[in-house]
Amino acid sequence: MRILLVEDEVRLAENVATALREGPGFAVDHAGDGLTGVDLAGNGCYDAVILDLMLPGLDGLGILRRMRGQSDGTPVLILTARSEPASIITLLNAGADDYLTKPFDLGELIARVKALVRRGKGVAHPELRVGDLRMNTLEQTVRRGEREIELSPTEYRVLEYLMHRPRVIVSKKELLEHLYDYNWEHHSNVIEAHLSNLRKKLDGAEKVPSIETLRGRGYRLILDQEPVR
Amino acid sequence: MKAYSIVRRLIVVMLVVELLAAVVVSGLALEHERHERFQAFDVMLRGRADSLLGSVQQAGDEADTVMLDGTEARLPKDDLYLVSAQDGKVLGRSANWTGEEAQRALSHPESGRGPRHHNGGTYFPVEVAGVPYVMVRVEGVRMVDPGEKGGGIARRVTIMYGSPIGRVWREVREEVEFYAWMSVGVMVLTALLMVWLLRRGLAPLRELAEEASMVSVRSWEFTPSERVTATKELRPLALALGDVLEGLKESFLQRDRFVSDAAHELKTGVAVVKSSLQLLTMRERTAAEYVSGLERTQVDCERMEAIVGKMLLLARAEHTEEKAGERATNGVAVASVVHGVVDELAPMAEARGVPVVLDMDEGVMVAAEAEELRLVCANLTQNAIQHSAAGAEVRIVVRRLVDDVEMRVEDHGSGVAADDLPHVFERFYRGDPSRSRHTGGTGLGLAICKAIVVRLGGSIAMESVVGEGTKVTVRVPVWQG
Repeated sequence: MRILLVEDEVRLAENVATALREGPGFAVDHAGDGLTGVDLAGNGCYDAVILDLMLPGLDGLGILRRMRGQSDGTPVLILTARSEPASIITLLNAGADDYLTKPFDLGELIARVKALVRRGKGVAHPELRVGDLRMNTLEQTVRRGEREIELSPTEYRVLEYLMHRPRVIVSKKELLEHLYDYNWEHHSNVIEAHLSNLRKKLDGAEKVPSIETLRGRGYRLILDQEPVR
Repeated sequence: MKAYSIVRRLIVVMLVVELLAAVVVSGLALEHERHERFQAFDVMLRGRADSLLGSVQQAGDEADTVMLDGTEARLPKDDLYLVSAQDGKVLGRSANWTGEEAQRALSHPESGRGPRHHNGGTYFPVEVAGVPYVMVRVEGVRMVDPGEKGGGIARRVTIMYGSPIGRVWREVREEVEFYAWMSVGVMVLTALLMVWLLRRGLAPLRELAEEASMVSVRSWEFTPSERVTATKELRPLALALGDVLEGLKESFLQRDRFVSDAAHELKTGVAVVKSSLQLLTMRERTAAEYVSGLERTQVDCERMEAIVGKMLLLARAEHTEEKAGERATNGVAVASVVHGVVDELAPMAEARGVPVVLDMDEGVMVAAEAEELRLVCANLTQNAIQHSAAGAEVRIVVRRLVDDVEMRVEDHGSGVAADDLPHVFERFYRGDPSRSRHTGGTGLGLAICKAIVVRLGGSIAMESVVGEGTKVTVRVPVWQG
């Protein structure tokens, strides 16, 4: 999952970005001002956007309005120092999905961002199920049937993204965009290796392949059973 | 305090004036009426007395006496009369007058109160059977046998004639009552008219009061209506009120902005410290990671401390700014303060490769505390160094003017955009916030400088051209110790 963080306070941005990378293993892009923020958000490759309200250039509300004006439905979490109801109502009515008032709890921020990412993909529960494959996003564990599968962090992130989009063809570019921050192109060659490893670990003794490779088009998580959500 | 109504007061004053006027007019009318009526009454009495004289006829007896011919019976019944001949013989008298009373009136005409002589008769009041009369006494001559030679014999007669005075008084009273009632009627009418007129006339005042009552801390909207501003008496009031409200609104908004900005700064500061600590505890880390994390947190704390310190400094400077008149009691040498500041900032200037050049009139003293002047000088110099590229020099110029000392801090840095220039001395205003954050600026430095300079009775101004540099000029009164 890839998150855009627009925050002008450098130290706060560093901390939030580190927490998101270390905790749920998200890729994080950071913009230090509103104009850069709105540029990056325009790429449309983010699974959630975290916006500070008071920004140089263009404020958080302006970025939000521009995103929603371009029919960008990416979940948006607002960070604000103002907690009065009028300000929050304005934010939510402008299209924000959630908000946190400063100073916030880092754990709460991570939980909210994860919830927003889930919701953005149409999933309600932190435990994802596709066929007999189950992923607990809180413990970051994966089971197929009764068998527990050990995954590397990158493998886990690849699977997490695919499990959020079961039976949909996900191109290599899309996968790269959502797994890595702006320098994703450096990872282009390794993604295939990660996918190959992931496939081996998932399938093990099973006959049915879990991840299909569609040459030139991308990858698809496909399991014989209907996904249960 | 009892409510005071302009309308009520005006009406009461108006009615009192009208009442006085009515009383005076009625009094004058009474006097005039009385005079006229009595004049007419006297004439009438005299006329009746004369007609009585006309009814005295030759009796036709041997003694050539006179007698009344009976026409006197046609005179009003409630009048009194007495006709007597010169020998005292009563020729006739009215029936409602006893002979005794008539005789007394005849014999002592002068004994009555205030006899008046005019129209050839004597007038005096008499009271008969409790009724007040006014009598006239007329001496007349009747010629007996005027055809005989010698012109006949003259028979003198005395006629007394009286009429009740009460009727005249009644008429006068009725006349005055009529005037009085008219006055009351006019007063009621004017009172009603006044109420209506005042209501209409004071409508703009009421409108203004209504407009003013709508103003509150939440709603500063004050727009006096066309009618109010068109009213000559209300216009200055409405304008003054508008000005005051505008100023108040501005200062309230500024205070609101300050509180909001301060809250934002502080909350962000706390958020940084809190997230730094939480990041450390998120998972197990190595000792080296903990050390570097804690060191970063300490830097975050120090930055927060600096923000809080500056806020307090600003609050204090602005607080004392309000206590005008409490001027500095010390003089301080500008040069020594500037040297101190430059020494203090030398490491920073060196690190950025910015030379600081001094051009000062030595021995110049200003009326200020050394610490205040140091704060101003340090803030301006630090700004200049931070916004200069390596190699661009910063100049500090100190000049003695007539009553002031001028201190200029000039740099050849990035400059300030024309849009931002009017706001640079506002609290938390940052032309380029992201850059200021990198350099550790809080947006309070220039606000603090301004508060201090204003407190010292001086002025501060900034000139700047983007890409060419910035010049901040401070003027502070010279020390005259």
